[in-house]
Amino acid sequence: MALALRARLKRRMAAWVLKRQGRDELPVELRARRLYILPTRAGVGFALLLLCMLIAGLNYGNSLALFLTFWLVGLALVAMYRCHRNLLHVVTAEALTTACFAGERGRITLTLRNDSALARQRIELDLTEDAAENASVDLPVLSTRALSISVSAPVRGILRIGRLRLSTSYPFGLFRAWTWLHLPLELIVYPRPRGNLPPPQHAGTKPGQAARGAGDEDEWLGLRVFRAGDSPRQVAWKAYARGAPLLVKEYASAGSDLRVLDYADLRSLGPEARLEQLARWIVDAEARDEHYALMLPGTQLDPDRGPEHRHRCLKALALYGLTRGVA
Amino acid sequence: MKLPQTPQMRAHLWVSGALGAAMLLHVVHVPVWITLIACLCVGWSIAARTGRLGLPGRFIRSTIVLALTLAVVFMFHTLNGLNAGSALLMVMGSMKLLEARSRRDRLIVAGCALFLLLAACLREQSLSYVPLYLLVAWLVCTALAIVSHPAAGASSRASLLLTARTLLYALPLALVLFAFFPRLPGSLWALPSSGGAVTGLSDTLSPGSISSLATSSDPAFRVAFDAAVPPARERYWRGPVLHDFDGERWTMSWPGFFRPETVERLGPRYDYRVTLTPSLQHWWFALDTVDDSPNDRVLLTADRQLMSSRVVAEATTYVAHSHTQTRATSELSGAARRRDVYLPPRRNPRSIALAQELRSQAPSDVAFVRSSLEWIRARGFAYTLTPPLTGRESVDDFLFRTRKGFCGHFASAFATLMRAGQVPARVITGYQGGEWNPIGGYFLVRQSDAHAWVEVWLEGQGWTRVDPTALVAPERLDRGIEDLLADAGSAPERLLHSLRWILKLEQTWDAAEAWWDLRIVDFDLQSQFALLAKLGFNSPGWADLGWALAAGLALWLLVLAWQFGRLPRHAPADRLARAYARLCAKLARVVIARAGHQGPLDYAAALCLGYPEVARTAGPLLNRYAELRYGPPRSGQDAAVAAFERAVSRLSLTAPRSRARASRGR
Repeated sequence: MALALRARLKRRMAAWVLKRQGRDELPVELRARRLYILPTRAGVGFALLLLCMLIAGLNYGNSLALFLTFWLVGLALVAMYRCHRNLLHVVTAEALTTACFAGERGRITLTLRNDSALARQRIELDLTEDAAENASVDLPVLSTRALSISVSAPVRGILRIGRLRLSTSYPFGLFRAWTWLHLPLELIVYPRPRGNLPPPQHAGTKPGQAARGAGDEDEWLGLRVFRAGDSPRQVAWKAYARGAPLLVKEYASAGSDLRVLDYADLRSLGPEARLEQLARWIVDAEARDEHYALMLPGTQLDPDRGPEHRHRCLKALALYGLTRGVA
Repeated sequence: MKLPQTPQMRAHLWVSGALGAAMLLHVVHVPVWITLIACLCVGWSIAARTGRLGLPGRFIRSTIVLALTLAVVFMFHTLNGLNAGSALLMVMGSMKLLEARSRRDRLIVAGCALFLLLAACLREQSLSYVPLYLLVAWLVCTALAIVSHPAAGASSRASLLLTARTLLYALPLALVLFAFFPRLPGSLWALPSSGGAVTGLSDTLSPGSISSLATSSDPAFRVAFDAAVPPARERYWRGPVLHDFDGERWTMSWPGFFRPETVERLGPRYDYRVTLTPSLQHWWFALDTVDDSPNDRVLLTADRQLMSSRVVAEATTYVAHSHTQTRATSELSGAARRRDVYLPPRRNPRSIALAQELRSQAPSDVAFVRSSLEWIRARGFAYTLTPPLTGRESVDDFLFRTRKGFCGHFASAFATLMRAGQVPARVITGYQGGEWNPIGGYFLVRQSDAHAWVEVWLEGQGWTRVDPTALVAPERLDRGIEDLLADAGSAPERLLHSLRWILKLEQTWDAAEAWWDLRIVDFDLQSQFALLAKLGFNSPGWADLGWALAAGLALWLLVLAWQFGRLPRHAPADRLARAYARLCAKLARVVIARAGHQGPLDYAAALCLGYPEVARTAGPLLNRYAELRYGPPRSGQDAAVAAFERAVSRLSLTAPRSRARASRGR
């Protein structure tokens, strides 16, 4: 009963906060209007302690005890101002989500920026006020820091992050100042990679691929920024000589294995199980460094490999059959 | 021992230190074993954090706590007293430290430390303790900050500074609340016995009792006169009045049942303010003879002694009025006369015989008093702080054998002579004299000024003060006792007093202590109303107190809001950042804007891919910026930044072919 009432109250509060603040667009500067502050449990305990001290001091008419009590009251109030100021004018510059498989935990990463001459300490990020996980970061003067937490993603699809809470109880832990961020954050949740059917055999060349030409001739794909581990032979040295940063020439090799992962081939399974099996195959193929193509009803992804291709394929699986807006 | 540098360890060390500092305020007031156990617990908890020692289990902990609580109860017979309470807090706080794993546990220990500080304030409020209290408060508050956020980047020094600044901001509020937060006119429950040492005069006088005080230079009380100051010879501060004599010891008799004599007051009236230092005794002191009781709770007894219903546990200030000359206008009642001529039978027979002989030769009581004094004066008595021991017949021994004594001996012997001659006599203990403090404008009366004298009842005159010590050592009244007796006061003290500037320093400090006792320690509801009246409120009451409180609070909050709302201001970007921003803006006008996630090198790469012609000129500049900003610091950095600024200004970009297309697209 009490729990239900509490939950209802929380929903009402959340709705009220959303109505009051509106949805946010990046970058978000934390102005005083959107900061809230209340005493923490430690703060309430401290207040009770001060009350006891006050009663003792008043009863015995003891000036020193009273002065100590009043001074600590002042300390708590200054701590309230300091706590509020610790979050004031911090800028949420960017927000990113990292996709994950269903049943695993996805990540939300916020980039916080401190444009002021005041060092900020212990700024915490969590989903709700009683979330198990939170992360915290210090923001020195004129700095930018990333802050990330994980969220559980039980179902494949799109996980909408309704709101995030940035908070701080620095310096004395007696008060907590916080703000609610309503960012348009979506987290892609891939189907759980599951199933033990053998992957389809090497499918040879697909229609249209023959036109590319056979043999060892690799197809020129383009330039990308040098990453650690790239072969020096692939570096575009001429561009570097002209003053450009280290760039790498990329080619698509046509000679490796190619598997076509087709939704239609898995008639023996239910729709979700098919997606899970396809996810399994994609993960395995990527681990073996194979090329693969994905065919879904209405969607077709050309053969390729690499993290971006993997993400495109798994995202297609995640969104398959969903009208946008339903998680 | 090398301690691991984890945040948890840091929090633990700080809270242990804060508790230790707070316990330090109590070590002299609790049994040694409590301190030992507390130290053991602190050491054990730290050792356990390093992994060298295991922690006791829950069962063992509970058993220890129970045993210690019982031990404290057994020791003090209560848990309510100040010493018992602080001992229990010390035990509990250090035991809590043993099981402190979470932040909450450590916060509880910090709370214990604050309570210990409060207990110390309740016990001792003198000015000399204040710096110690300040230090402990600072440490505990810093521990609070560190326990709350052990992993914060701030160093311990930075945390100490932060707390100091926070306390400084809080100080005005503390002053406002202190001045205007309404005090209770009385108290809800009585002060638990602090078990502190009782100081000053007691309710008995035995031959050696006052000489033990003569070596103590602690202040007994301070007196500031409003206008007229009595001469040194009349500055007798009356304390306990002793009627009952057992041949050796004088004691107080049961007060009451005696009607006070009516007196006519003669001479000038002296108005003065006395501030007593805590003595844990019932006596209040006033100039001989006080007109009226200065306070409702203080009884003016029939023998004109001030008796408080409560012991003086803290500095107490009162205003009193006295006349140094009085004349009785009524007779001494029969019962009072019988009480004050009583002598224990078969004690001090030689003295009684002497008194009867002197009495028979004297025509009147006054003559008898004179001849007795003359007898003492003629016998070459000596005034000394270390008199030889007297036996069971103490007065006989003193008058006929040793002839050396302190004021107690003289008063006791003289009162015995008077009573033996049927003249009512009583022994008065109190203080005599006082040292003028020119800085504070008051007389400081020390314990070493303790004195004993005699009052005799003379027909037509009433109770009359006779100080037999003055016969033997008349300078005693004009000068301090330290000048008079080679063995009064400790040797270093006497040596120090010979230096003028040290004396001055001591007087300044004493004046500061006096101010503290009067203005801070004794600040109560009446003082609050007086303060309001000074601020311009007419006949101030509780409501005015509320107004002043609200106004002060609002003012402080406004200043604070201004101070903390002003900050955090935006820090000005440095020259390099401004030049970089100009470069990016230039590029954004011509080609593409730098995305938020792109650093200078990413941006250069993007330009290379899309706009190779632009990248040829802008790319090296972007690389240069990255080098200046993130590269190792070098000499000539300023010149390099200036060169970069110039290069950015000189950079002229030709619009690439795609520009027209881009602008059309917009």
